[in-house]
Amino acid sequence: MIFAVSAIAFGLLSTAGGDALTTLRDNPQVSPKTVERLKLVYGLDRPLPVRYFSWLGRAVSGDLGESFAYRAPVGALVLSRLANTAAIGTVALLIALLVSIFLGYLVTRYPSGLLDAGAELTVLITASTPRIVLSLIALFVIVSVSGTSGSMFIVPVSSIVLSFPLVAIFLTQMNSELGQAMRLNFVQLARAKGLSERKVIMSHAFREAVNPLISILGVSLGGVAGGSVVVETVLGWPGIGALMVAAVRGRDVSLVMGIVVIASGAVWLGNTIAEMLQLFNDRRVLDAEIRPD
Amino acid sequence: MYEAWNQFKSWYRVLPKLAAAVLAVFGLIVVFADFIAPYDPGTQSRNEPNAPAASLHFRHDGELRFLSPYVHPLKLADPLERRYEEDTTRKFSLGFFVDGEPYRFIGLIPMQTRLFGVRVADDGAPRVNLLGTDSLGRDRFSRLLFAIRFSLIVCPPGVLMAWLIGLTVGTVSGYSGRWPDTVLMGIADTMLALPTLILILTARAAFPLDLPPTRAAILLVLIFSLTGWAEVARLARGLVLSLKEREFVLAARATGLTEARILVRHILPNAMPTLLTQASVMLPYFLLAEVALSFLGVGVQEPQPSLGNMLAAAADVNRLSREPLLVLAPGLVIFIFVAAVRMAGPSRNGSTPPIR
Repeated sequence: MIFAVSAIAFGLLSTAGGDALTTLRDNPQVSPKTVERLKLVYGLDRPLPVRYFSWLGRAVSGDLGESFAYRAPVGALVLSRLANTAAIGTVALLIALLVSIFLGYLVTRYPSGLLDAGAELTVLITASTPRIVLSLIALFVIVSVSGTSGSMFIVPVSSIVLSFPLVAIFLTQMNSELGQAMRLNFVQLARAKGLSERKVIMSHAFREAVNPLISILGVSLGGVAGGSVVVETVLGWPGIGALMVAAVRGRDVSLVMGIVVIASGAVWLGNTIAEMLQLFNDRRVLDAEIRPD
Repeated sequence: MYEAWNQFKSWYRVLPKLAAAVLAVFGLIVVFADFIAPYDPGTQSRNEPNAPAASLHFRHDGELRFLSPYVHPLKLADPLERRYEEDTTRKFSLGFFVDGEPYRFIGLIPMQTRLFGVRVADDGAPRVNLLGTDSLGRDRFSRLLFAIRFSLIVCPPGVLMAWLIGLTVGTVSGYSGRWPDTVLMGIADTMLALPTLILILTARAAFPLDLPPTRAAILLVLIFSLTGWAEVARLARGLVLSLKEREFVLAARATGLTEARILVRHILPNAMPTLLTQASVMLPYFLLAEVALSFLGVGVQEPQPSLGNMLAAAADVNRLSREPLLVLAPGLVIFIFVAAVRMAGPSRNGSTPPIR
């Protein structure tokens, strides 16, 4: 999968529109000769498949090349920025999970039209507020509270902004799953045994509802990585999203490649972990995969 | 309390209709943008950059007359701080259907009448900037209208293309089954799991950054449709899979119809309502992608106004803290549009996942 993505991205980036040398070519002070020489130095004169496979060969051994703009090895640069994004991303996921589980619990525990409408309104608002607007509002709040844009508030605020659309996804899922789970036989049994309603929901119904939640959590990792682009650029957090914008603006091909490959890899890894967690949580899924009958 | 709750419930039921009305207003803006806008989006008045929103006055000699508002001309009181003051000695009354800059109505009929403006059109007449002006002295309200028009014209073709790709892939996948199904759905699942915005940016990086607006728009549409089809494909496949086992398909087959005819005339029409709903859900998603790219400076560029590049002014901390409401106005428009689409559509029962 990552091979396919990297091949397509490589092909697109090298054929269509110029590279880091384009700006040099437009510069009247740089002679065409120098550009040609640089082309040789960076190996840009070879045919595309050759370049791709030499890139791939080095990429497999962990060498993603050097960034034109940052003059640093791409791999190390991207990984350090990825750690920053992972930090706010993890906090964002936790916030979204806590909020949606809590609200989902309330809606199931105290069934009333008011709470339903409240949950639906929460979904509507969180799903309709674009991250750009949200991060701009957050920037405004930060600036008016602390006077400058760079401050210690950035980590929690970025996480909250990043978590906003996730709340909508998780809460929708949580409500429908919990609602269905409450009608299942073993949940009814738990209630018949005289367990408290809180226990019925949290230890029995929730266990059933959590698997779809995990799978949707895995899918939304891509959304978190994508959302980080805007949030980090606005709030000035040095993560992978802000790096991506800089790379695209600076036409830093090897850096763009590195980010795509590493970000896709990270998201894929997250998805795989989510799938494994589901097996761990629900043995029935595991049994079905081992004995498909 | 109970009374209030009942009122709330009836209000809540009106929401879809309200949302439809809001969408109708957006439609009017798309069609009549140059009539509603008091000025051309490109006209700069260099002597009033970063002017505040015009304040309309209704008080005539102590008496309120809401039907005849007027404005005072602005003068730059402090060029360093860009502070403006109203020149209260002069009044200019506003009116509907006044003559303004010439334009072509719907791009065809030459016209001069604008929806509203300053009645007297001499050289000293001030401009009414309902949302103030940007750093080049362009009327922000007019630009906002044109931005809405531009963004809303760009997005539907993208949705249509992505929808058609998804429909084709999903139908083939669901109807043929076996290895095409495995391969196509493998690709779709991969697309769904990847960080979309990063993919879009990668594709965007392959092309020169400073494209003319129309070409940039076409490029964005292409990129969005190539990255956004997977969800439709999944949905279409699921629908086709369940529909092809139904009795009416069996009956059609028993009457000797060809497979293609069964698919097009019997299966697809039944899948359409759900698929069309999905198309309406995709519209805000594409709008947001356009906004994000233009905001980051790699989408539609100045001087063409778009919701994204107008919002970029808000990233300037100084302006954001000085006039937050004015620079965030495009954001409010985006919020209203997305919320209206979500409420007007039949997707409010939580059956479709919200936009990421």
